[in-house]
Amino acid sequence: MLAAASALLVSAVRAAPAPSARQTIAEAALAEDAAKKRELIGRLLGQGDPAIAPLLEAWRTDALFVLTAPDGTKIPVQLTGEKDAAGTQSALRVDTGAPLADAAGQPRRLAAADLAAVEHTSSLRRAMKAVLDLADLAAPDPAVRTKAILTIGLAQDAEKLPALVARLGVETDPGVKRALRESIAIARLKDADDAVKLTALVELKELTSLASTDFISRALKEAETAEKPVLVKAAKDALRAVEGHRSFVDFFGTLFRGVSLGSILLIAALGLAITFGLMRVINMAHGEMIAVGAYTTYLVQNIFGAGLTIPFFGFSLPIFGLNLTGAAYQWYFVAALPLSFLAAALVGIGLERSVIRFLYRRPLESLLATWGVSLVMQQGLRLMFGANNVQVSSPVYLSGNWTVNDIIFGWNRVFVVGFAILIVFGMWLVLSKTPLGLLIRASMQNRAMASCMGVRTERVNMLTFGLGSGLAGLAGAFLSQIGNVGPSLGQGYIIDSFMVVVVGGVGSIGGTIISAFGIGGIDQVLQQYLPTIAPGLTWVPGIGSFLQNLAQDAAVFGKILVLAGIILFLQWRPAGLFVTRSRNLED
Amino acid sequence: MSAATVRRVEWIAVAVIAFALIVLVPLLHANGVIGNFWISVFGKWLCYALLAISVDLLWGYTGLLSLGQALFFTLGGYMHGMYLMRMIGDLGQYKKPIPDFLVFLGWERLPAFWEPFSSFPFALTMVFLVPGIISYLFGFLAFRSRIKGVYFSILTQALTYAASIMFFRNNLLLGGNNGFTDFKFILGYKLNEPGTIRGLYIATAVTLLLVFLFCRWLSKTKFGLVQQAIRDGENRVLFSGYATAHFKLFIFVVAALIAAVGGALYTPQVGIINPGEMQADKSLEAVVWVAVGGRGTLLGPIVGAIGINGLKSWATTAYPDLWLIILGGLFILVVLFLPGGIVSIPARLKTLAQKLRAKPEAPAPAKP
Amino acid sequence: MPHPLLSVEDVSKSYDGFKAITNLTFYLFEGELRTVIGPNGAGKSTFFDLITGRAKPDKGKLDFGTDPSKSHDLTELNEYEINRLGIGRKFQTPSVYTEHSVWDNLVLSLKGPRGVFASLFHRLNSTDRDRLDEILKTVRLDAKRDWKAGLLAHGEKQWLEIGMLLAQEPKVLLVDEPAAGMTDDETDRTGELLLSLAGKHSLIVIEHDMAFVKQIARNGQVTVLHQGTVLCEGKFDEVQSDPKVREVYLGRGKHGTR
Repeated sequence: MLAAASALLVSAVRAAPAPSARQTIAEAALAEDAAKKRELIGRLLGQGDPAIAPLLEAWRTDALFVLTAPDGTKIPVQLTGEKDAAGTQSALRVDTGAPLADAAGQPRRLAAADLAAVEHTSSLRRAMKAVLDLADLAAPDPAVRTKAILTIGLAQDAEKLPALVARLGVETDPGVKRALRESIAIARLKDADDAVKLTALVELKELTSLASTDFISRALKEAETAEKPVLVKAAKDALRAVEGHRSFVDFFGTLFRGVSLGSILLIAALGLAITFGLMRVINMAHGEMIAVGAYTTYLVQNIFGAGLTIPFFGFSLPIFGLNLTGAAYQWYFVAALPLSFLAAALVGIGLERSVIRFLYRRPLESLLATWGVSLVMQQGLRLMFGANNVQVSSPVYLSGNWTVNDIIFGWNRVFVVGFAILIVFGMWLVLSKTPLGLLIRASMQNRAMASCMGVRTERVNMLTFGLGSGLAGLAGAFLSQIGNVGPSLGQGYIIDSFMVVVVGGVGSIGGTIISAFGIGGIDQVLQQYLPTIAPGLTWVPGIGSFLQNLAQDAAVFGKILVLAGIILFLQWRPAGLFVTRSRNLED
Repeated sequence: MSAATVRRVEWIAVAVIAFALIVLVPLLHANGVIGNFWISVFGKWLCYALLAISVDLLWGYTGLLSLGQALFFTLGGYMHGMYLMRMIGDLGQYKKPIPDFLVFLGWERLPAFWEPFSSFPFALTMVFLVPGIISYLFGFLAFRSRIKGVYFSILTQALTYAASIMFFRNNLLLGGNNGFTDFKFILGYKLNEPGTIRGLYIATAVTLLLVFLFCRWLSKTKFGLVQQAIRDGENRVLFSGYATAHFKLFIFVVAALIAAVGGALYTPQVGIINPGEMQADKSLEAVVWVAVGGRGTLLGPIVGAIGINGLKSWATTAYPDLWLIILGGLFILVVLFLPGGIVSIPARLKTLAQKLRAKPEAPAPAKP
Repeated sequence: MPHPLLSVEDVSKSYDGFKAITNLTFYLFEGELRTVIGPNGAGKSTFFDLITGRAKPDKGKLDFGTDPSKSHDLTELNEYEINRLGIGRKFQTPSVYTEHSVWDNLVLSLKGPRGVFASLFHRLNSTDRDRLDEILKTVRLDAKRDWKAGLLAHGEKQWLEIGMLLAQEPKVLLVDEPAAGMTDDETDRTGELLLSLAGKHSLIVIEHDMAFVKQIARNGQVTVLHQGTVLCEGKFDEVQSDPKVREVYLGRGKHGTR
């Protein structure tokens, strides 16, 4: 029977048979015999016609009816749309999909109550489900195909195996092909024939299929109980190959995630490296500068789109949208970058002029006053944009990913890494190659001297603070692509940013870079490997199970370990990685 | 006004306030003038005053701006809360002999570390021991490597942050983000009875008075002199032969214990303790109370804690949207224009008056 | 020859590549008053930093104690431990506790136990009070004992710091430019005070003011530092006439405070 079905399938796929899927379904709906119905539905297996799924779904939910015309001919119809007062809905012919027309050619409306619903038995529903499962095998989108293929493979559904084999014959996409081979091999692990099993194991070994681990282990156990040494060996080989590949993927995956987290930390901390590192101002509102950048991105997105209205202390501030679509709309993010920088820089300059300039040389006070500013800004954002997160959609060029050898590289993360490099380079250019950079470095090293040399330190302070804040805004534009944008967005980054700067050594931009990547890397390594060492923690007397529990919360526990590590690190190097010395008594 | 008169006026003020808080308020409550709700609220404010004193002892007197005091406060609250949770017995939602959230997490039996908290003396010991040990370890490491100034602030904030994300997890088996609530009994007394509520309030007010007297005594000893000298010039103290790290460690632990006592008294009066109380913002809020009240004084933090919280309970009902803006703005203004806080206003007015009279005087002698 | 109280042997210290002290060797004997002079940047303050533990030498030995078998290696001790051995320092810029009264400044400096618990239960006895009163008279601040130290004039702060040093009763006093900011009269009195301390205590005085150096050096040794090392050592007159010294220091006249 299987052979027959697969032969049918092959013909269905290859020969593109005369009756369309719609016609087959119409025929099945009219068929008197349940077996005939099943047979007809079975013919749909593996066909990629998008009409199949909605029709079968309609059938299953009693939305398919048979209309008996006055002349006795029966027409299967699907009723859709809203019911009107008389209980009628618009009717579509199942065989063509066109609206059912009356004699005058006008679309007819029918009431469900007047018609007989097409019946369905449980065995028929099973057949429909099989068809629906396989329908996706021929879907135009490779990602949908891959998903359907893996679903079948992981279920080790022998009945659907022929469909996969058939598909392998016609499939052209290499990624989907690989998924097919993987799924077929996994499904064949259940085959009764040892030779088939063996080839499947060899295939899996060759594919180093990560998804197959559990299946191979199961096959290994069976082979061991059945005492089949050849199979045992093959299974062990396959398992070893897969595990080897897994640790390779894990390692590089972790590395990549570490680098991208490091880049995020770096982008968030660079602004602070300037305001805290060079100016020694503790800006607790740094996080809110990041939020300003993120919200600016949100605003620009809406300006490119449909616009929005901001409630502002009782007033409504309408912002008109350009109603751009398609490629033009996708450019919004590029436009948002400089605007985020500018917005945050302006807010920063305002903050410097109004509060911070009175607090140079009083770091604790600047910490406290800027915390007050951070509260005010957070609440301000909440009043303007609401307490909930706002939706910032990623432009298409940031929302895909590359999968290379099972390692996933999200475009947004790759972009963040690239951007971090760019931003560091840009900052280096500004600080070392521009007149402003020279003034900044001079004033930060010796304010009094620079002032004597005619540098307007007041202005330099203002611009430096603006630069630091602007960088924070730029960070916000990026972080809007990675996490949620809400009024307390900045709070999530402020502590990490300070840690990065402190560990790197206050005043050292190079130290900030190294420390960002160090902290990011260690954090990801811990998140990756903590769950694996968690079971090993039970030996700790008294609190063993408790520790094990905690270690399984890898993200949180990892973070705590990183913070503990930072405190211990500061025992060894109290001034951070790169020390800038001072010879004052109280400094 | 001579120094002796100043001291007498100060003592009279303390006596009057203590009398009002310890005797008058409970009497009014007993007579029904003040309801259960308000006396609990006053109790809460006094707990916050303890927290404020602990901040001031470090920041105002020693120059250490700790942003971790809310952590110790909450730890004290949790330790006492564990006892109160045990006292619920099987009266919880699930009618099981273990706390509801454990039933919810699928526990059948009490985890081992919960067992001893059925004993009040044990819980009370833990109220001191846990914050004490944590503050000792952290302080030891921080002061040993001479972390000071803003670095100390940032690290204490990181410590608090780490602890709070830990307490938010269910896996810690301390109630996750809901924390502990629905307490029923304390030492056999029903928590919702006026007598118990009043008793807790009086205990808080007396504790506050004792802590106040202790800190006052401390500030007048040679230890107090060293402490304030560390604030003004730590290296000079080091070169006078004092191991400043030991002094800072001692005061850091003492402050943590004061905060912990405040937290322990807070839990039964407010009826809930959760990780929200230990977030970094709470520590900073306590710093606002001290800054507004007047740092480096002992009355300042009490005035600030009660004043700001009174303002808060009014403003959060009258202008809920604007409260954070008011708080933030107030803080900025105090830092910029009134570094001495509210309690410095009389002295400032006096100086102003003197200036107006235009009689240049010799610099006033410091209080002995 | 007796064993020196303080021996500094072949010590070097550099900051970020700048050599502040290079192969410095220096001995101080009990009861001696040694004057150290040298142009700006000669390493005089770094020299004190090394002795008091504020900076650690890159190489070399720093030993304290007349009995070689019981001497202390200063490189292994930190600031407060060195101070407790009896090495007191007066800083170049007066460093007093500005928020404390003059009296409290002295109480904090008074010789005695320095531990946390000792200071919690510390009480001044009448001997202590008499001693502090005496010091107040010596530094002529008895009328201002209740003043906040921050309100004192510059010269008075210098005096107060000297008083604080006296209250510590150290074996060795390191005095960095005591006469800076003082009137001539005050300078004279400072000189007399320092001379009266010699014998009972050992002193190293860094000074720029040549008249003052001449006053206190008398017959004692003067050490000239130049570029982090000892240029020459001897009696004031010898040093003054040394051509090397004239070239690097005296020839250029008096320098301002750094």
